[in-house]
Amino acid sequence: MRMLLEQFLNGLTIGSFYALVAMGYSMVYGVMKLINFAHGDLFALGSYLGYTVLVIGAGWITQVFGIWGGVAVAITAAMIGIGIAGLVVERIAYRPVYKAGRLPIVVSALGMSIFISNGIMAIWSPRFQAYPQNAIPSEILSFGDIRITLVKLVTLLVSLALMAFIYWLVERTLFGAAVRATALDRDTATLMGINFSKIILFVFFVGPALGAMAGVFAGLNYGRIIFNLGWGYGLKAFTATILGGIGNIPGAMIGGLLLGVMESLFEGFVSGAWKSVFVFLVLIIILIVRPTGLIGEKIAEKV
Amino acid sequence: MADITRKVAQRILNSQKKGKTPTKIAPFQLVLLAAAIVLLAAYPFFPFVNNYWIDVGFFVGIYVLLGLSLNIVLGEVGLFDLGHAAFYAIGAYTTGILFTQLHIPIVVLLPISAIVAGGFAYLVTSPIIHLRGDYLCIVTIGIGEIVRITALNNPFGLTKGANGITGIGTPDFGLFSFQTPTHFYYYIWIIVALVIIGLLNLQKSRVGRAWNFIREDEIAAEANGIDVRSYKLLAFVLGAALAGIAGNVYASKMMVISPDNFTFMESCLLFCIVLLGGLGSIPGNMLGAAAIVIFPEIFRQFASYKLLFFGAALVVMMIFRPGGIWPRRREGVGFRGLGISGLPKDEDEFLSKIPKESVLISSGSNSSSPVSIESSAEKADGDVVLVTKSVTMQFGGLTAVNNFDLIVRQGKISSLIGPNGAGKTTLFNVITGIYRPTSGKVVFLGKNITGLKPHTIVSKGIARTFQNIRLFPSLTCIENVMSGPHCHAHSGAWSSILRLPGQKREECRILEIATYRLHQVGLWQYRNELAKNLPYGKQRLLEIARALATSPKLLVLDEPSSGLNDKETEELMDSLKSLIAEGFTLLLIEHDMNVVMGISDWVTVMDMGSKIAEGLPSQIYNNPRVIEAYLGKEE
Amino acid sequence: MSTLLAVENLCVNYGAVEALKGISLELQEGGIVTVLGANGAGKTTLLKAISRLVPIKSGQIKLEGEDLSKFPAYTLANAGIAHIPEGRKVFATLTVEENINLGAYSVRNKLSPKEIAKVKEWIFQLFPVLKERRRQLAGTLSGGEQQMLTISRGLVSRPKVLLLDEPSLGLAPILVQEIFHVIKQIHEEERVSILLVEQNARKALGVASYGYILETGKIAIHGSAAQLREDDRVRAAYLGGARVQPAK
Repeated sequence: MRMLLEQFLNGLTIGSFYALVAMGYSMVYGVMKLINFAHGDLFALGSYLGYTVLVIGAGWITQVFGIWGGVAVAITAAMIGIGIAGLVVERIAYRPVYKAGRLPIVVSALGMSIFISNGIMAIWSPRFQAYPQNAIPSEILSFGDIRITLVKLVTLLVSLALMAFIYWLVERTLFGAAVRATALDRDTATLMGINFSKIILFVFFVGPALGAMAGVFAGLNYGRIIFNLGWGYGLKAFTATILGGIGNIPGAMIGGLLLGVMESLFEGFVSGAWKSVFVFLVLIIILIVRPTGLIGEKIAEKV
Repeated sequence: MADITRKVAQRILNSQKKGKTPTKIAPFQLVLLAAAIVLLAAYPFFPFVNNYWIDVGFFVGIYVLLGLSLNIVLGEVGLFDLGHAAFYAIGAYTTGILFTQLHIPIVVLLPISAIVAGGFAYLVTSPIIHLRGDYLCIVTIGIGEIVRITALNNPFGLTKGANGITGIGTPDFGLFSFQTPTHFYYYIWIIVALVIIGLLNLQKSRVGRAWNFIREDEIAAEANGIDVRSYKLLAFVLGAALAGIAGNVYASKMMVISPDNFTFMESCLLFCIVLLGGLGSIPGNMLGAAAIVIFPEIFRQFASYKLLFFGAALVVMMIFRPGGIWPRRREGVGFRGLGISGLPKDEDEFLSKIPKESVLISSGSNSSSPVSIESSAEKADGDVVLVTKSVTMQFGGLTAVNNFDLIVRQGKISSLIGPNGAGKTTLFNVITGIYRPTSGKVVFLGKNITGLKPHTIVSKGIARTFQNIRLFPSLTCIENVMSGPHCHAHSGAWSSILRLPGQKREECRILEIATYRLHQVGLWQYRNELAKNLPYGKQRLLEIARALATSPKLLVLDEPSSGLNDKETEELMDSLKSLIAEGFTLLLIEHDMNVVMGISDWVTVMDMGSKIAEGLPSQIYNNPRVIEAYLGKEE
Repeated sequence: MSTLLAVENLCVNYGAVEALKGISLELQEGGIVTVLGANGAGKTTLLKAISRLVPIKSGQIKLEGEDLSKFPAYTLANAGIAHIPEGRKVFATLTVEENINLGAYSVRNKLSPKEIAKVKEWIFQLFPVLKERRRQLAGTLSGGEQQMLTISRGLVSRPKVLLLDEPSLGLAPILVQEIFHVIKQIHEEERVSILLVEQNARKALGVASYGYILETGKIAIHGSAAQLREDDRVRAAYLGGARVQPAK
């Protein structure tokens, strides 16, 4: 029972990373109809930015803001930095290629992905980087039989809170309705006075920023990061996006969490080595049965 | 190489026959080809080329082969495959496992690896082949990862986990075995040459054209008689088999294989090779593979930065040359580019020599079943070609077509008219098999065709055009029309690769029919132009020519006059009337009342999914219900 | 009464087709003008050109004398042009209420929340069924209800000009009746100037004061609604009178 709960919490944690990255994929896809293959690498870049802030700040940030303040500064810096990076990627790798069609955009995205991951390797190092021990809070909490690190708890709470905020933003505000409307019908959205360029700005800033937060949390939770972190996470998160129905942001959230939990439980009770195979098999079976994803693309059938 | 040998043989043959002249060989292409062959053959003997660089040449060869294998799936058919390394891995591991466990010779394992990889592809892609582009993408990624991780996890102790399989032998022909880099260099390049010849033959055949039709517009392809599902599967199986061969050769050279050789990154590189080279372009593919392999080698001294430049280079390429380094050129190449042998030098001469009787439909050569009359009442006024009985089509809560009875008679022009949104196109989609009706039957020439797949219905004798014109835009006009006779031909992949006599005759026949129909609609001068470059009115005619080329009994046209000016509409009406004279039966949806009233023999009026009137044009013109439906009620 | 909307010698290419070949028309302030014509005549292209959704080859479109070509498409709603597209383009997976709220998106800074609330109330009076279904997904509405929704969406911004594209499309006669009744009401109560594109000539000429008949991209006939109502050419233009052989 204890193992079940612990695995479940582990699953929620990694699931929240998948969810945050998946939301970025869904946002961009919904509006632009393109898969941002560089997205996973922006997640990795985020974790490296957080790392750099903590390392450079070293004692200084922790002294001024306290250890949790240091974490907050790292996350904020990463989110802003990667948000800007997302806009830059859109500007140089996608905008000039839109008119060429869907396949060239994929190659451009892949090229960007290779560029970013190798850029990380070149700037930092090809070896694992460890998040500085003194910057990571070390308390462990106990709830009866269950032990959970404070970092993990905070990760879960903050991630879920941010997801809830994005959900509220997209589903309950007028601006969110505008984003969703643009994804459904760009021309009619323009008739409503919605400025498409602003929408692009939004999805290419916020999406990567969410990933950046996940990146820093991943670094804090697992202690060390590597330059090609983006590949593995990106792939799983992309799977979660499809699971939830591509373009569907709440679906991406649920898909990500579900994926993380499934993967963790499988790892805990069956096998760690086969967990990815399990995840992909589940995806394939779901797509065979429900070609538009578990929750669906949320497109009312129009003939 | 295929072009040259074929053309040389042709020249010899033709110099013995009278009245035929050989196809023109483009001197520039010939020189280029010869230079390339000489370079490749002599490469290992160049002064600066040591074993290291011969190995590089080997790897270029492997990646050319891999690129070609993915090119079938991605370049020719347009399927989004980002997991192709899986088939490469299957080939390599089949070779590794069977050699180390059962000591089967490497050379024997080459075809075995191809078959196993192909079979694997068939099994895994069958259930998912229908998925839309982006979803297919993630599934292929998943398959790639599943294969890699399975290899990593060493199931049943077969794959030896992360360290992989070692001690794989080299190809051994008894008296002679491959040992040195030079041996392997020539080995792979001979295989590549053979594969290229085969692929060129395949590309310029009915199979290759079918693949391209699917890539251009899947729905139009299906509606023109192409069995889309089968051809997609064929592409995957063939692509996998070739990748499997590459795996075998790679394993026999390296003697060690491990899961690290078959990562997602590897699949991405293959993807980039195909796009970089140019979709469907064989020479482009070779350049792309060379770039992928050699580029990091040149930048080797920059060590950790080489992939950085590579990533940037990909982005830059896509910005400035998204079509690829050497995109496949179709326009202006002429009939020569079709790869059909025995053509006269002058294409116009070809046109004039077509035996008309074999092409026209009134001789009944291509029509199938006889007409069986359902009831005596329908016997009057000509044989019934098509009848829909109480066809209803519902989408969720919306009833688009409501209990519709439609009769189309032999040799007549029947028009279906009605206000916008009445359900006319939906009814057409039911007739042509795109939708299966919620209830009711569609009976064609006495046989029930309800729910049959569109491509089957085409082969039975119904051809259609679309309201929004669905051509194959990047193909030439003649290629577009050549999709018509496809469904009545039979040559498959093997007979196309080997260029068997039956296949060659069939190809000639397909070209004859296509040529005739293209000429009939007045587009002969545009035959080698890309369809997308045609003015709108001519695109409409091209679509009609394509439908005619399927030699149908019934032609179903959806708003053929839409977008045409007055003069073009007049010409269209004359064309349609002459089609009746040839023996076709026509069913039209039309909004231009001049067309409807001018040439129809029978008019059926549809409103809100139901039939509200039918009769002669003059009767309809004065029918108050019809007037009301169009002009609105008198207040 | 001044000219609110003026189209001068408009030429528009739709891909390879010459969709509009030199159209000129005028909409007076407070008036209703209708543009009629068969399918493919260019009516929708005309409205799309005014809304800047399709590029103009040549010619001018002026709103209150100002050339619209300097305005990017998304600013037109704020400038007072509401285009209600054909085919009932509701945002299917948004609720009815969200659709209507988006109608006010362009004027969210111009009108106060109270004013917007007042307009919404008025709209719900016009279309009570929308009030009933305000929390339903727009895609689940019937055809007629969706049409009401698109019209409402256009009205929320309190536009000066309403571009209405085939409001009767695919609707049952009784609903068509209702829609046109509402169009009259809107015109009278809100003093909105309306450019009405329609296939249903009788209904359109029943509410409009002036009409233009489009045929393959050119204006074939134009005149006051009264004149057009009596005109046999109108019937011929729709039902192909010139081509009919009376006794066959």
